[in-house]
Amino acid sequence: MRRSWMFTAILFIVGFMVAVQYNTVQQPDERDTRDIWAIRNELAKERKLHSELLTEVRGLDETLKKYSGSEKGQAGQALSETVRELREQAGMTELTGPGIVIDVKPSEESIALGTPLHEVSPELLTRFVNDANRFKDINMEIDGKRITALSAIRDINGNTTVNGLPVQIPPFQIKIISADMKNSEKLYNFLQSSSLLDDFYLDDFVLEISQPAEDVTISGRTDPFENRFLKELPKGD
Amino acid sequence: MWLPILGLILGVSLGFLTDIQIPQEYGNYLSIAVLAALDTLLGGIRAHMQRVYDDLVFISGFFFNILLAAALAFLGVHLGVDLYLAAIFAFGVRLFQNLAVIRRILLTKWSEVRKVSAANNSK
Repeated sequence: MRRSWMFTAILFIVGFMVAVQYNTVQQPDERDTRDIWAIRNELAKERKLHSELLTEVRGLDETLKKYSGSEKGQAGQALSETVRELREQAGMTELTGPGIVIDVKPSEESIALGTPLHEVSPELLTRFVNDANRFKDINMEIDGKRITALSAIRDINGNTTVNGLPVQIPPFQIKIISADMKNSEKLYNFLQSSSLLDDFYLDDFVLEISQPAEDVTISGRTDPFENRFLKELPKGD
Repeated sequence: MWLPILGLILGVSLGFLTDIQIPQEYGNYLSIAVLAALDTLLGGIRAHMQRVYDDLVFISGFFFNILLAAALAFLGVHLGVDLYLAAIFAFGVRLFQNLAVIRRILLTKWSEVRKVSAANNSK
């Protein structure tokens, strides 16, 4: 009987060891099949992200320095400056800078053929915004409505809307501001050669893209912020 | 007979259910320890069948072999020689030898049983 218990204990240990070994061998469930170029691409992407994060950290450090360096009287000023910067980032303020203006018009053929005028579909507008957003640091306005991270382009009762406000039947303007002239030119070239022109043409619209200009002004988002998640702490906490 | 099998099943299921994994670099040690454990286990079964089984020899052999195998592998890693191959070879050969002896004993027992039953039938 004692022998049997001993064998049981030993077999228990052996079974456990085998199971652990099996688990360990099966550890990478998916084999990494990327070739060296795929890995290099991934590395380049991560490096870019790294540098972006560093820039962000530097900016935040600067803000922190401003807070700690300023005396009591100036702390309020630093704070209001931060608020202004945040409002600017959130697209609440009017913005002027180098950019391009795009006129969305009905195509000449559709006018000649007497095709009834209709709105630009939300899908087409979304596609345009997504394509333009390949470029970083751009600010956009569609028919006077500022596009921000919270903007929604959708169909409400048959009307195409941006931020809940209806977009008029073309002609209207889309304005895009970039960080500098160089980026504006890049964006201009990208839009000129992109398939967006064909997509708009299929819907009887043409995009007239103006040369990059130094001073393009876009308006701020008009509707106020809705704070659903942040809560004020009671005093004394 | 059923108790050791129950122990094995319990051990395997506990290993799978807890999903314990050891780092890749220690995988060699565990694999060799498993081999040593299997070797000792088969040796114990063989000894049991040959009626020379001894508790102390079995238990000490089990842990000593595992430790020795792991130590050999460890030494091999630090000397830059694949010493664990020596352990794999030694344990592998012994494993097969033990299996062969167990097979022969079982065959002998089986043929004896057949002879006895044939004799009973002829009566």
